[in-house]
Amino acid sequence: MKLFRFVAGATVLASLLASEPPSVPPSPASMHPFAGMRGEPFEVVIRGTDLGAVRSAFSEESRLRLTVGAIEPEPPNEANAKSKKPFELLRLRVESPSGLEPGQYDIRLVSPHGVSNALPLHIMEFPVLAEPAGSHDSEETAVRVESAPALYAGRIERRGEVDFYEVQAKQGQTLTFQVLSGLPAPGSPGGNARGFDPAVTIFEPSGSWFDPGHMRRVAFSDEPLWVIGRATDTHLVHTFAKDGRYLVRVEAFSGQGSPDYSYQFRILPGEAPAPASHNPDWQERSYTRPLSANRLNELAERGGIKPDKKSIETYRASADGPEFRLPGTLLGTIAEPGEMQRARFQIDTPQDIAIEVETPADDPPLFNPVVRLLNASGEEVASNLMAGRGACSGALNKSLQAKTVVPLRDTGEYTVEIRDATSDLAGPGFQYKVQVRPQVPHVGDVGITADRLNLKPGGAETVRVNFDREEDYRGAVAVLVEGLPPGVQALAGADFEPDKDPPMHAGKRERYTPRRERSVVVFTASDDARPTPEPHLARIVVRPVAGGKPGPVIASKTIPVMVVGHP
Amino acid sequence: MRLLSLALFLAGIANPAGVTLKIAPESVHLRGAGASQQFLLLAVDADGVERDVTAEAEWSLSSGKLASVQEAGRISAIADGTARVVATFAGASASATLRVEDAGKDPPFHFAHEISGILTKQGCNGAACHGGVKGRGGLKLSANGLYPQDDYEWITKGGTFQVLTSEVKGDRVPRVNLEEPEKSLLLTKPAMIEPHGGGKRFDKDSADYQAILAWIRAGAPYGSEEAAQRPEIVRLEAYPSLAVMPLNGKHRLLVTAHFSDGTAADYTHKVLFASNSRDIATVTADGVVTGKMLGETAILIRAAGHVASAAVGVIGPPVRNYPEVPRWNLVDEPVFSKLRRFQLVPSDVSDDYEFLRRVCLDLTGTLPPPERVRQFAASTDPHKREKVVDALLASPEFVDYWTFRFSDIFRVAIFANGLTPKWSQKYWEWIRENVETNRPYNEVARERLSAQGYGAASRHFLPYNQIGPPQDVMAEEVRVFMGRRMDCAQCHNHPYENWSQDQFWGMAAFFSRLFKVGPVVIDHPVNMDWSSKDVDGKIELVHPRTKAIVQPAVLDSASLDLRADANPRAALADWVVGHPYFAEAAVNRIWGYFFGRGIVDPVDDFRSTNPPTHPDLLAALAEDFRAKGHDLRHLMKTIVLSRTYQLSNRPNETNRVDRVNYARSMPRALDAEVLLDAVAAVTGVPEVFATAVTDGSAVGQAPRGTRAINLKDPDMYYSRFLELYGRPNRGAIPERDTKPNLGQALHMLAGSGYVERLGAKDSRLAHLLARGAADRAIFEEFYYAALGRPAEEAELQGLEQALAARQDREAGLREFVWALISSREFAENH
Repeated sequence: MKLFRFVAGATVLASLLASEPPSVPPSPASMHPFAGMRGEPFEVVIRGTDLGAVRSAFSEESRLRLTVGAIEPEPPNEANAKSKKPFELLRLRVESPSGLEPGQYDIRLVSPHGVSNALPLHIMEFPVLAEPAGSHDSEETAVRVESAPALYAGRIERRGEVDFYEVQAKQGQTLTFQVLSGLPAPGSPGGNARGFDPAVTIFEPSGSWFDPGHMRRVAFSDEPLWVIGRATDTHLVHTFAKDGRYLVRVEAFSGQGSPDYSYQFRILPGEAPAPASHNPDWQERSYTRPLSANRLNELAERGGIKPDKKSIETYRASADGPEFRLPGTLLGTIAEPGEMQRARFQIDTPQDIAIEVETPADDPPLFNPVVRLLNASGEEVASNLMAGRGACSGALNKSLQAKTVVPLRDTGEYTVEIRDATSDLAGPGFQYKVQVRPQVPHVGDVGITADRLNLKPGGAETVRVNFDREEDYRGAVAVLVEGLPPGVQALAGADFEPDKDPPMHAGKRERYTPRRERSVVVFTASDDARPTPEPHLARIVVRPVAGGKPGPVIASKTIPVMVVGHP
Repeated sequence: MRLLSLALFLAGIANPAGVTLKIAPESVHLRGAGASQQFLLLAVDADGVERDVTAEAEWSLSSGKLASVQEAGRISAIADGTARVVATFAGASASATLRVEDAGKDPPFHFAHEISGILTKQGCNGAACHGGVKGRGGLKLSANGLYPQDDYEWITKGGTFQVLTSEVKGDRVPRVNLEEPEKSLLLTKPAMIEPHGGGKRFDKDSADYQAILAWIRAGAPYGSEEAAQRPEIVRLEAYPSLAVMPLNGKHRLLVTAHFSDGTAADYTHKVLFASNSRDIATVTADGVVTGKMLGETAILIRAAGHVASAAVGVIGPPVRNYPEVPRWNLVDEPVFSKLRRFQLVPSDVSDDYEFLRRVCLDLTGTLPPPERVRQFAASTDPHKREKVVDALLASPEFVDYWTFRFSDIFRVAIFANGLTPKWSQKYWEWIRENVETNRPYNEVARERLSAQGYGAASRHFLPYNQIGPPQDVMAEEVRVFMGRRMDCAQCHNHPYENWSQDQFWGMAAFFSRLFKVGPVVIDHPVNMDWSSKDVDGKIELVHPRTKAIVQPAVLDSASLDLRADANPRAALADWVVGHPYFAEAAVNRIWGYFFGRGIVDPVDDFRSTNPPTHPDLLAALAEDFRAKGHDLRHLMKTIVLSRTYQLSNRPNETNRVDRVNYARSMPRALDAEVLLDAVAAVTGVPEVFATAVTDGSAVGQAPRGTRAINLKDPDMYYSRFLELYGRPNRGAIPERDTKPNLGQALHMLAGSGYVERLGAKDSRLAHLLARGAADRAIFEEFYYAALGRPAEEAELQGLEQALAARQDREAGLREFVWALISSREFAENH
């Protein structure tokens, strides 16, 4: 019996020792530096796990030449001490043509186990200087910035670490200091739970009565405006009050630090604009989406209907409440605190209308437009405030909505009233565009969940496609997939969706929220599908179907797909 | 020496030569039948020491037909006319004019004046009796007769009061018996004809019993319309506001009621007197105070609906040849005048070392470096103190320190400011900017009180990322900006003060429309639905007792002119910053930081039962603060350039036991953050502040060299040292506990805050040793760094001997540094 136990134990041990590492795709966490100049070859180091089997790197931009170099285990540090998987460092050589457009390009790593998540690489039009080796945590060790513009690639490797940069400034000179995170912080676009939120402080090393080495704090910036969903990168414009030497300290919010905390520090002359984030996807309810005069046709296309509507007229709302005709776009500015602007319209037959709000300058939470619809008696028929009662306490809560649909059953005169939610705030940036129009059934926001697919022969992966039925859109929605590798199929499927408890009191939620539906595409690789050494770019396409015909493409997403290993 | 002083004092009493007499009041106007006036006669000796001789004097009238002298100094009207009242004492005399009018005319009866007055004087409606929250024995009266109409209802109709509803509980049994007036509970209980938990309050033959009986016999009326027109009391005034007496001495207080028609009347015999400390002084029902123990206390005076107070000082032997004390600015006159009355001689002015360390810690929370101490002491510039104060006020350390101070009061904390360090740190930045630019305090207050939108100041309204209950928000704002604690009035009328539950909720209603739309703070308009009907919602504040919808009303019950769609808090903020309470509360709070106690102490507990120790000083500082545009730096400069502030901490024979009159500088324990920074500065080893979250890379650490006072979100950084030394929780209005405790002692012995620093490589000691500094040079350097003064020769010799006895020099020096930073002299500002 004892012998049996020994043999069994030895067998298990031997099988463990003989087993190969798990066949998982590479998992890069960060890239440093994450910027380089176009036309100039440069090297970056990618930090991550499961990098050992990486053979190549991949970008959708074919003009980028990416060459994988050495892969080494990361030396022990405070960031990897508790990690269950060993971290590795991969060197990647990047070459780009001098004509490549500056911008952000996604880089992925490829191994026989699959294609990785993407890391952003910034291709710049001017040189990227590396933060010199060593510590720069004091006035004495500050990195000297010779001139602006300048771009440094630095890193906050440890908690509590700060990097000082020394700049010379003239009285009245304006400089812009930007710090871009290579690993966006939680809450920002593309945010990562382990992300990095940079901050800068400008000091004047003028000393104090107590300490000749004291650095007087001149300016500080974390980010221009902290709002969940916006970038937490730093953008500080400062005009210097006097000639002199200044120190600019770069650090992570609340003193965090990690080898993944790579940053770009940009010193730009004058008042440079903040880096803009661009979301090419359709945004049904964003306050910043443009409400054009062609809005009815844009919506009709998303409903698969022929776009043959007339342009929407533009009117000015005012305190006097001038008349306008549906459909109409009201323009105005809440320039004075407590100001209310109005406009009136008439309907002769019952109508289902939509009221949409755009804030072309300041947007929520700075300018918070409240739009009310009043009947001829001055009673509120609807507003863009969605009210509800909390599930726990039953407390009343309200939120401002950029779009409201209202069924108007009574004919007669109505007034649209616009103000700011506060009574004390106003300004030239409090500009609004309110569009009042008949409802147009269409498909609203579309969400495709996949980032990449690594399929094993005989295996399957599910991709969810969410879409919103807006304004009583009742048509079908077609989801197609193009560009699959041989042996891979995309099939329509269904998925389990658990029920949710209804809210205690949802109010008139239907006025503010669309009907959301979910479609599923199941990707399968046949048993004999051959592994693909490089990713194939598959395109998932969404089209409305109306009158038995598929309409135009209203959403699409390209994802890399690989067939890997064995089942 | 003490016996000699006492003998001289007694001789002074026995020999009234040189005494001048002062009569109060000097002019009296008696109106109506039975009107009377209590006079007070003070004898003032050559040293300005006053003594009440009312009872010893002879009192007479130039016309005996006009009035009668009832008892010591009390005159009662008989007939209309004018006369002189003459008081004679020790061969000297003083007189006052008396005018009597309508001596034959009884004033019209009114319950509020007559019956409530008796109930107040007898203590029936005090907080401990029927004026308590629920009343007592089934009878509820308003505290001090603040609501006579309610009291009348309870007495004449009966029933039991309920706290949470205005409905009457139980059978309604009247406390008056109109059929058999003598059997009325309102008489039989206080006269102890029937058992009474409150004991016997008056006899059957007393004037009060008879007055109540007469009222019941007359049908227990509330009072005619004519009576209702009688002028109301608007305030009570005690004279003197500060009475000084020797141990076992007596001093009479006069009380004058001022009426709404501008007239005044003697109320000395119609009020209830009570001593705040019977150990120090007792007071009789007719206002005669007896000094029982050296010290100072307040006598509280209650009449129907009103409370006043008089300060009483029980003083030691008079100081002969009391020195002339120069006044340097507006602070000194009220302080030194009072000290003279109390026969307390202020200590000498502090020396340069004492002054510099104190002012550096008070203005910047930072110890002066050794080089600066030496320079300052060596300077012969007569204006060097003013110059160093200017330098400190302009220093970045000043900005750091007062940002920390106001971050405490304004509660910068993650939980208090929306559950995210992003918002609390933005709020901190707002405070810092205000301090750095020396923004007028009324503007700061106005913005915080009325903030809307997404700005930093509005984050204060989002504890746990929710709008706080209006009553909590209001109570905090009133406490911070007006120095009053109204919390007791939330559930019932305040038992000790004149704050009513209606006033509380009227103030709370200014915050009842505070609302959060997404992350934006707004005030929901009254006249707009904004989709509330969609969920049967309402934005309104309901009175917890009456269930009525409460409208905003300020403390004097006035309604402000509020637009239905405007921010009501903006109007409130204007009212707050323009109210006398605002400047008083602000200067008192700042004063408290520089002296370890407020003129009213605790600094945010102004109330009639907690009067200021120096009302004139408080008024002068508040007036100056307003006149100078609510300039905090100017206020601080005024304080630190006063002689009062610059007095030494070394006591003299007269001021050794005094702790409230600023006769000398009182040692104050350094606040936890300042102490930790001081330990770091002296040892040369900065503290490392790590965030308390222990989740891999999410753990942060403040940049090396960050001081404790510079932590934006202190609650993110765990620190055993700061917890032990009383860092407050900013979850509520912080109250610091600077009392020593066992944990501190253990931490000094073995904690990282002390021990690990001593052996650090980059420490001040290590640098001195590396430079080959001699023992004496090391001792001196540390004395300057830690204590801001040179070591005395005896101290140096003692240290040298102790070190010589050690085999390991470096270990001995480490122990010396430990002893220095563990000393009380180091841990206190003095």
